[in-house]
This record gives sequence, structure tokens and C-alpha cells, in this order.
Amino acid sequence: MVETINPTDSKEALELLIEEASLKGSDRLSRYPKHRFFGYFCSYFPEELIIAAGLHPLRLLPDSENSTPVELPAYCCSLARGTLDMEVREKWRDLVGIGFAHTCDTMQCLSGVWASSGQSKTVDIVPPVMLKAPGASRYYHAELHTLLSKLTGLTKQEIKAKAIRNALILCANARKLAAELDVLRPNLPSPLISSLLRAGQLMPRSEYTQALVNSLPALKAMAEEPHDKAKVLVSSAVLENDSLFEMIEELGGRVVADDTCTGFRHFSGVTVGESEDPLLDIVQRYSEMPPCPCKNRSLNERISYLTTLAKQRHAQGAIIIIRKYCEPHAWDAATLSERLRKNGIRTLTLELEGANAGGQERTRLQAFLESLPDYEL
Amino acid sequence: MHTTKEKRPSYRPLVSNKVLQQTMGRYYALTSWHRYWGKFLRRPLAWVTSGAPVELLRAFNIHCAYPEQYAAIYSARKATVALCEVAEAAGYSQDLCSYARSNIGGVLRPDLAPLGGMPKPDLLVACNNICGTVLKWYEVLARHFNVPLLVLDTPFMTDQLTPQAKDFVIEQLSAMAADLAEITGRRFNEKKLAEQMNLSRKITSLWIETRQYCQASPSPLNAPDLFINMAPIVVLRGSQKGINFYSKLKDEIKERVELAQGAIENERIRLVWDNIAIWPQLFSFYKMFSEKGACFVTDTYSGGWAVEQAPGTPIESMATTYTEVFLNRSPKFRANQLINLIKEYRADGFVMHSNRSCKPYSLVQEVIRREVMRETGVPGLMIEADMADPRAYAEEPVRNRVQAFLETFDDLK
Repeated sequence: MVETINPTDSKEALELLIEEASLKGSDRLSRYPKHRFFGYFCSYFPEELIIAAGLHPLRLLPDSENSTPVELPAYCCSLARGTLDMEVREKWRDLVGIGFAHTCDTMQCLSGVWASSGQSKTVDIVPPVMLKAPGASRYYHAELHTLLSKLTGLTKQEIKAKAIRNALILCANARKLAAELDVLRPNLPSPLISSLLRAGQLMPRSEYTQALVNSLPALKAMAEEPHDKAKVLVSSAVLENDSLFEMIEELGGRVVADDTCTGFRHFSGVTVGESEDPLLDIVQRYSEMPPCPCKNRSLNERISYLTTLAKQRHAQGAIIIIRKYCEPHAWDAATLSERLRKNGIRTLTLELEGANAGGQERTRLQAFLESLPDYEL
Repeated sequence: MHTTKEKRPSYRPLVSNKVLQQTMGRYYALTSWHRYWGKFLRRPLAWVTSGAPVELLRAFNIHCAYPEQYAAIYSARKATVALCEVAEAAGYSQDLCSYARSNIGGVLRPDLAPLGGMPKPDLLVACNNICGTVLKWYEVLARHFNVPLLVLDTPFMTDQLTPQAKDFVIEQLSAMAADLAEITGRRFNEKKLAEQMNLSRKITSLWIETRQYCQASPSPLNAPDLFINMAPIVVLRGSQKGINFYSKLKDEIKERVELAQGAIENERIRLVWDNIAIWPQLFSFYKMFSEKGACFVTDTYSGGWAVEQAPGTPIESMATTYTEVFLNRSPKFRANQLINLIKEYRADGFVMHSNRSCKPYSLVQEVIRREVMRETGVPGLMIEADMADPRAYAEEPVRNRVQAFLETFDDLK
């Protein structure tokens, strides 16, 4: 057992990150026995405040997409069903608490179901949906204050401003490194980038940033250019494994732009760090970052952002994933697809039960990638 | 010898149904012909969600139409499948809300929609107090029609209404009033809003009183009555016409109670309904119950409009009232609400419609069911269906479950 895993060798650091991503936090007790973890589901739950409270944010991902806990109906997404089933099986027993940010209807309901039938302590934050509505920033700021009080109550320790500042710096650093990684994306295997970004939502952030810093030389050395793969954008909700990215790569594609909940969108947005009140910096980032489909900054902002992103990255195609029963992404899929096509970007909408892409998806993906102009076997 | 048994209806029709038809018929005619009078009278047409702060819109002389209500009509008139298929062909997943899908289908193919579909809106007003779906749905409509979309964001209440949430909603309502002034060219008149609130209060009181008569045994109303008669409280809230209708309905229900006339013959089992009606099976589904002497004496769905206004200035009152709607609240609140209904209406059991189209209503139902059964000791049945799309309704499994459930009461009465 080791308290801190911190390989200085570039390749070892890379291996550590890949390993952490595949473990999805399941080995946390033996790897980090003195760390106290706090579970969360959504990027709109501010991990800065979890860290400032002396805890380590762990994104909760399901270990199966076929779980059917009796508390939820079958027409509910496998992320909610799978993670709740793990709660029933006491897989989250060691967590200090579990944080819910109210984003989609399912997360909103899951919070209540969890509080009623789970053993873990739950903490809620209700961010504004209309991020640019009059009073939204003030409301968000007050919600963050309330969240601080709840976390203080949970840990029985005062959360000092300096701790929040330090957490902001740590998270800003992780985001900066993730952005570096995102720049390398066109020249590195897609499942590798997906894996490295996911690790940053599962392992302690200090260890993550250090390992990422140490692994960047190896990654830069691996980066190849130019490549002859078909360039695609991927948009999706949570993807708890790299199955889809592996398949795209195997079939001759390369993900050059990522808009997934567990991908680069989690790290996007700039942490300014200039306000006297660090909570205002958190609000500002959330208000300015590329929105997920559950949020609205203006009517067409998300669609325009993704169209621009696809063009900037020279994507020839876009793969829009609808996780079964994920309504916000399903709603945007039709408009997004239409807009991308109008801009000369071919699109494929794929419905997946969870994160695993199977035989049927393979056939459709292959046909799609083959239709893209730069596709070469 | 050939004998014929006289077939008696298992429910008692309401005399005021005629007034309901007249009232609603006039409303639909006015809405359908809005293009001929709306501009002339400077009364824009707004498509609004069922939880939108309609009093504010009325204060600006805006005529409101409800896509959710039209979708219920589409369903009752068996048009939903064709309309949903149009939306699905346009890229909208079959797992999305069937009200939204059939509405979008009606927008794309009005020729397939009953009443000729809905007239084109001048603006859209959505409030997310009922679900997150309405935002996405209305975004689609705003892009299609290229008209202003006003959204009232009412933060979900995990417990009590927080001061920051109330302030946030108040600020948005004030901004919405300014937006509406710009759109309509009319000035915001707080006195007029207060008058609208007052009319709303009256109609709500009448609806509450009418419903409370169902605490009597036998109950003067059954679930289909409640669902049909809720139409004016949704679309005519804040209008004198709505008040006139509910005055008549209340009088008739009061008389039924005085005469001990039940909505169904031989009421034997009293039940509470949870979730939106199963519109495509409105009578056949509830007949399975009424035939066995089971009457739904109250429900949480149409009860959503039987809530007193919160105190304060008109804007403050609206902020609290519209944020505190039951679908915007925790399972704990909703369990207590159901427990109270069971006690107040002396119900023997409850039936929950696990509605594939309405996640906020449905995903928490199982934990509520367990809590209510534990607290009250009465049985609760879960039925999986859909409020509008008949493709999600499996008749035989539903019938088997209902029969088994009703048989559990045989030993009791």
C-alpha cells in the first residue's frame, strides 16, 4: 500500500494515468488509504470546494450498464441505474458524501432517490439553468455559499478562503494541462486522450496533475503528424470507458474534437482567479464555459460553439452519441446534426445503452467513416 | 327465452359537461382563429408551458395556448402515434416526452393534427418548474418559429424555498415583465396583474372546494372527471369564464354529495391516482376499476392546480407559487403530499402511473410508493404506461396487475 503514487518517469506516469482511468476509482482504498473521497456526478458540482474541504473528488461511474435497481424504472439512463445499484451494493460506503448538481431531470430525481434509499450522505447544489438570466450569477454565488456550509457540516471543519484559493489553483492547473492534452489530440490515439482525461476525474488532483506533467514528454514524443485518419468530433454525455474511442480509432477515425461530459468539456472554461471572493471565480467559469445541453446561455450558443469547434479542428464528420434515455443530449441531437450538415460536416447519430459500442455500432461507424473524404484504410 | 340485460354505465355523467364543452369550445375557436383578431386587438399569441406564470401574460393582454393540452387532445383523439412518427423521422428520439413529440409532429404536419394543429405563436414562454424537457422543447420551437423565447428558471427545491432562489425568480419575473412590455408595446401595470392574481385566486378556490367534496363517500367525482374538468383551470386561469364554469361545477358536485350520488355505481374501494392521465385509454383504463367498485377520489396531477397562492406582492406571490409546484420538490415532500391525500380522502389504496414520458414525475415514484405504504399501511400499485403515446401501453399485463391489485381488497370489504 502506498499513500502517494508519484512516478517521475514519463512512461511510468503515463501508465499510472491509464491504470487509474481503467480502475475508475475502484482501487482507491488500497491506493490512497489516507485520502478521504467525496463522490460527484456532474462537472457542475464544483470540485474546487470538495478539495478545499480536504476531500478528494471522485466522479461516480457505473461498473455495469445492465443494472436494474428496484428504485428506478427501466426507462432511466444506465448511469443513474448503475451507480445507484453500486450504492445498494455498498461500493461507495467509504465516501464522505455524494454531491448532486441538479442538471438533468434524471440527476434531480436520482438525488432524491439516493437520499431516500442509500446509506451515503448526500449534498445538493442547484445551479441556475439559464446561466445568463437576470440574477443568475448572484443566485449561483449564494448557492456556492450554501454548499460551503453543507460541506463544512459534513467534515466538521471550517473551509478557509486560502484553502479555496489553493484548490482553485490546483484545478486551474489540471485544466491547463488538459488543454495541452487536447491540443495534442489530433496526433495521439483517441482512446488514450479519453483515458487520460477520465483519470483526472477519478484520482486525487495533486497526483493527477503531477503525473500528467511527468507524462507530457512521453506523450509529445508519441505524437505523430501528419496522420491520414478521418477526423471526427464526438459529442456525448458521460462515457465511462474508451470503447467508442477505440472503435473509432480501429476503423480508421481520429477524434479531433471532444464534447463529452467526461472528456474535455469537464476541463473547459477559464479559471480567472482575480476576484477577491474565490467563489465569484467559480461562478464566472461556470457561466462562461461551453454549456452542456442542460444549460442555456443563449438559444443557439451550444450549437454554434460545436459547429465552430468542428471547423477549427478540421473535423469532416461528427458522431453524436445519445446515451439511451439521456434526454438533454437527445434533444440537441436533431438540431446539432442539421446545423453541422449545413456547414458541410457529415454526422452520425448513434444510440448507446451505456458507453460500450457493440457490433451494430461498429457496422454503422465503419460505413460512416468510410463516407468521409479523407478516409483511407 | 331470450333475455336482455340492461347495460348501465359504470359512471355518472356530469350535467355541467355541456358548459365545459361550450367554455372550452369557445376557447379553442378563439385560439384557432387568433390570426383574424390577435393583431387587430394587439393581443399576441403565446405558447406557454402548463407551469408558466400566466397571470403576468394576461396582464399584458396576451392570449395563451398550451401545447401540453393540445397534446392531450391529440392523444385522446388517437392522433399521437402519427404525429410522434413525424417528429421521430425528424430526428427526435422515441424516448423523449410524447407531448413534445406530438406537438412537434403537429408543427411539422398540421394536417395530421386534430383542430388543425396550433396557430403559429408570436412568442414562447416556458417555466422549468415542471421539468427540464420544456426548455429543450421550447428551444426547438423558438428555432423553428423564430420568435422570442422567455424562460423562467425556478430552481428545484431539495427542501424549503431558499431566499436566494426566491430572489432569483423575482428578478427574472421583473425582467420578464420588461420583455413583455417591449414585445406587446404595453406598459406593465401592477394593478392589472393584481386583478389577474385575484381572478386566479377565485378560480383556484373553486377548484379546491370542488375537489374537497370528493372526501365524501361515495365520491361525487372519479379520476376521468377530474382530468376532463381540469382543462379550464389550466387554460382559463385568471378569467371570468373559468370562474363561471367552476361555480356551476361546484354547485353540481355539492348537490351530488347532498344526494349521496357517487361518480360510480356502488363505490367499494377508494383510491388515489398519481401522475398524468393515460389519455389514449382514458375511459377504458379507469373502467377496469369502476367495474369493480373502485373510484379514484383524488389525484396528484389535477391537484397541481389546486394550490393557494403564496402571500406577498403579485410578483413575490408568483415567484413563490410557481417555484413551489409539487413537481419541483423532493420525493419527501411528494410522499407527504400523497400520505395526506390518503388520510384526508380516506383512501384504501393508491395507483401510480409510471409514465415513460415524464421523468420528474416518475423516476422517484418507487421510493415514494414504499414510503407511503409504510406510513399509511395501504397498498400501492405501479402501472407502466405513457400519458399520450399508446405504443407504450401493454393492455394485458396492465389488466392482470390491476385485477390482482383489486382482488387484494376483496377480503377487506
